[in-house]
Order: sequence, then C-alpha cells, then structure tokens
Amino acid sequence: MTANNSDEEKTPLFKSWSGWYRLVIGFLVVCIAVFYWLTKFFS
Amino acid sequence: MSRPDWIVLALTLLGTIAYGLYKGRTTKDLDGYFLSNRMVPWYMVLLGIMGTQASAVTFLSAPGQAYTDGMRFVQYYFGLPLAMVVLCISFVPVFHRLKVYTAYEYLEQRFDLKTRTLTSSLFLLQRALSTGISISAPSIILSSLLGWDIVWTNIFMGGLLIIYTVSGGAKAVAYTQQLQMIIIFGGLTIAGYLVVHRLPEGVGLTEILHIGGKAGKLNIITTGVRQGGGFDWSDRYNLLSGIIGGFFLALSYFGTDQSQVGRYLTARSLTESRLGLLMNGLVKVPMQFLILLLGVMVFAFYQYNHEPVFFNKSQVDLLAHSKYKDSLAIVNGKYENAENQRLNLMSMRSPGSAGSPSAIVDPSLLSQQTEALEKEKAGYKATIRRWLSDPSVGGESNDTNYIFLRFVTDYLPKGLVGLLIAVIFLAAWGSIAATLNSLASCIIVDFHKRYSKKTLPPHREYRLSQLYTFFWGIFCVGSALLVNNLGNSLIEAVNVLGSLFYGVILGIFLVAFYRPKVGGWPVFISAIVVEIGIVVLNILGRKGIVPLGFLWFNLIGAAGVVLLSEVLQGVMKKK
Repeated sequence: MTANNSDEEKTPLFKSWSGWYRLVIGFLVVCIAVFYWLTKFFS
Repeated sequence: MSRPDWIVLALTLLGTIAYGLYKGRTTKDLDGYFLSNRMVPWYMVLLGIMGTQASAVTFLSAPGQAYTDGMRFVQYYFGLPLAMVVLCISFVPVFHRLKVYTAYEYLEQRFDLKTRTLTSSLFLLQRALSTGISISAPSIILSSLLGWDIVWTNIFMGGLLIIYTVSGGAKAVAYTQQLQMIIIFGGLTIAGYLVVHRLPEGVGLTEILHIGGKAGKLNIITTGVRQGGGFDWSDRYNLLSGIIGGFFLALSYFGTDQSQVGRYLTARSLTESRLGLLMNGLVKVPMQFLILLLGVMVFAFYQYNHEPVFFNKSQVDLLAHSKYKDSLAIVNGKYENAENQRLNLMSMRSPGSAGSPSAIVDPSLLSQQTEALEKEKAGYKATIRRWLSDPSVGGESNDTNYIFLRFVTDYLPKGLVGLLIAVIFLAAWGSIAATLNSLASCIIVDFHKRYSKKTLPPHREYRLSQLYTFFWGIFCVGSALLVNNLGNSLIEAVNVLGSLFYGVILGIFLVAFYRPKVGGWPVFISAIVVEIGIVVLNILGRKGIVPLGFLWFNLIGAAGVVLLSEVLQGVMKKK
C-alpha cells in the first residue's frame, strides 16, 4: 500500500517525501559510522 | 531533600498541572478530547511522541546501564528511524485518510469486527498491565533512595496527572508533554554540565571518553558474535538485534500502539504527522546516545570521587539488620580502605594535581596498582550482591537504576536535586498521561460506542470519555500499589511485556496493509495461535531451554502472523 491523495500537500524542504526518507536513513548510517569509530578509537 | 529542593519540586509539579488545566480547555466532544481537534503542529507531535516513549525509567535506567554495561544499549534504537520511514509511507496516510480515532478502527474496515476487537483487547491488556509497572518502578526507586512512603510516592507518580488528563484530554497531554520535555532536557543538560564541572582540572570530555573506553563503557557498537564464533541469539543489544528487532518493535509501537498513534493523529495535517515522526527518527538515536553518555560521565566522575560499595542505600541498611551485619562491617571497612587507596593514586594521576603524576611515580605502575584495587573492590561488591540475593535477606542485588539518582542526591547542589527529581516525575507523567488518554479512547471508540445500541449526544460522549480516563487512572495507580513488592525486576518486565504482544499486533497490521487477499478469519486465528506461541517461547526462554533475546519476539510474532495467515487463507480458499 502506498501513500494516498493527501500526499498532494507540499513537502517541506524537499521536492518529495523520498528526500526526507533518504535524509533519515542517511543520518542513521552516519550515526552508526561515528559510533563505530568512537568504539574502536576509545577501546 | 532540603527545603529548596522541596520548593523546586512542588513548584515544577504544580506548575505543570496548572499549565495542563489551562491549555486543556478543549472542545467538549470526542474530536477535541481524543484528537485535540486535529490542530497540533509537527513540533508538538514530535515532543508528544518522545514524551510518550520516554518513561521515568528511561532517565533513571539508561545512565546506570551505561555505567555498568556500557553504551551498547543505544543499538536498541537503530531500527527506529527505519520504522519512522515505513510508517510515513504506509500507516500514517491510511489513518489520516480514514480519519480514525484509534488504529484498530481501520482493522474493522479491512477485516471484520472480531479482528478489531481482538487487537484492541491485546493493546488494552498489554498497556493496562505495563502502565501499572511504569508507575511502580520509578516509585520504588525514589522511595527507596529518599526514604519516601511507597504508597504516597505511587499516588503522586500516577495520580496527580489524572487531574489534567481527565480535564483536558489529548490537548492537555500534548501541551504538558511539550513543557515536560523542555524541563527534562534542561535538567539533564545541567546535570551533565555539573558532572564535567566537578571533575579535576584538566579532565574534560576527551578524557572522559578515554576513561570510559578503557573501562569498556564505550562499547557503542557490538556485533553479538561470540568469541568462539557464532551469533549469540540471547544477546539483547547488538547491531543486528538493534536494527532488525528494534525495527519491528518500533514499527509495532509507533504504528499500532494507540498511545503513540493517538499522538500523531492529533496533527493538523498528514504533513505535520509525517514531519513529527521523521524528526523523531532523526533525533532519537543521538538523544539516547547523550543520555547514555551521561552515565559514562558519572562513571568518570566516580573515578575521582568516592564510589559507594552499593548505590542503593536501603539495601545496605537491610544487610546491616540481617545475619550478615558483622561480615558487612568487615567488608565495608576493607572496601573503604581499598577505595581510599585508589583515590590517592587517582589524585596523583589527575592532570591538574599538585603532586604531579609522572614526575614522581611511574604511570604504568600507578595503573597496575589502580587495576588491582579495582579488582579488590569488585570482589567486595560481588559479596554484597551475593548476600542480597540470599532468600533469607530478600534483597535486591541490582543497583543499576540507583546510580544516577544517587549521584544526583549526593553531589548536585540544593534546588537542582529537586529539579532532577521533578524530571523523573514529569517523564513518568508524560508517558502515563498519553497512555490513559489512549486507553480511554480505545474503550469508548472500540467497545462502548461500537457495541452500544444507544447513540449518545456529543456532550455525553465527552463526559463518558472523562469518566473512562479517570477509571483507567485509578486502575493503573491501584495496580502499581499491588505490584510494589515485586522490586526492580519490574523494570525489565515492562520491556519484555511489550515485546510479547507487539509482534502479533504488528503482524495483523502488516497483513492488513500488504496482503490484500488475506481475510478476517485467517488473520484472527493466526494472531491467537502466534500469541500463544510467543508466550510459550518466553516461558521456555526464562527456563533456559530456548535462549532468545526479547527483541526477537517482535520479529517472530509479526512474521508468524503474516506467514500463518497466508497459509490459512490458502487452506480456507481450497475448502
């Protein structure tokens, strides 16, 4: 099932919600990478 | 607590109630009472979601967990941002389009009444049980550490919020959560600043990270792979269980738990709901990281300051009146001796000390001596825990949840202690108020209105909603009073209890959204069978027969319902 007609509302900052989804997932990846570095560096 | 602490605590709590009552003046119908007339902006949705998820135990337990077990608990939240994305794509648009009050209303439209009733019942059962525990767990900790009466602590923890929740409904919940989160973050930031401020000169954040890292507290990313090879399925927090198990837990919690669904249904539009959820996906992991880092900071603090042999004072008092009282005095004496020696060594090592370290003594020798003293201390602590575990003593051998609060009461200045205690109360209130509102909305929308043959006028529905909210408030405080004697094991029970139900509820919704050919009966039967299976699995796990971390129940429950309902649909179609 996909998003419905209400999606016609304008997406803030990005052209579509896909931009937001990419931002959230990308930020998670960056967080995990930073945490991995912290774990290795300070262990 | 000192008088300034009492004043700060009382003003903060009374101010919150007054603010809730003032802001909660709402339209006197169901839309106003349960959905704030769908007028809430995204940032309030965000704070509402965060305030509902973060209970008092979150703030009490997380720093202590980092202190003892390290920061790997943060991995528990790795699946959350992914779940926010899936929710925004699939769940939220449907809920908004259908303009439902509860998530379970959708299931009747998709399947049938019995599936809606079953799912709503599972939610009510799980939430009603766990809310009692959510009130009791922080009450036990506060009463134990501060010597407060447990009954009154429970009543204040779970009872005062009833005033504004009954009066103002979802609107009061949303506005007070906003205020509560600001006070909570402010309180924790000040506490974090003071921990660093009280460290010896020259010891800053980098040194804290080095101290934590050396002691194994910065184990933020763990693989869950055993030393001899092979994945440890019973390991609770690792990268894989965090991403997969955490994803299913978060998807179920935010997508199907009415206490959360009710928060983002109050948004003024689909866009505002999505923004609130996606922002939660962005800030949750860093926020949890910082709360855990506070635990590492406290750990670093106790490297330079006297660390108690056991953080829960009341349990040491318990031992002092048991058959171990003489042995306790001896162990205490030896522990104090070892701790004083260690502190002497640390003062020589600290960068800003007058008797400067490396010039006088070889640093590696100091390290060896410190490690030997740490081992000696660990032995004494283990002895205390063993005595507390003795059935004849009946003590609580885990003091993890007392670490942060003990630091607060022992070392923070007057006034700030009161503020930090208020933070614990407000965290509990934010979570419990949202739950009471959601329990009432389910009872009235999914049961009372659905099964009653009478149609009530809006003002009567509104009054009835207030009555149900009040009933749930009394029920939860009452159950908290009943479970008090179970001790700290309650805190773990809250987490496990959710995972027993969430997987199955999520499975029902996944079938509803993604398996359009599956009908009501297959999903209904599957949900019951899989729920029984999960409960059996939990019992087997507790007996050590099937060692499995509780996060995996979410995946098994959801996948079980989806697969079994597909099979049953196929079988029924053939017949």
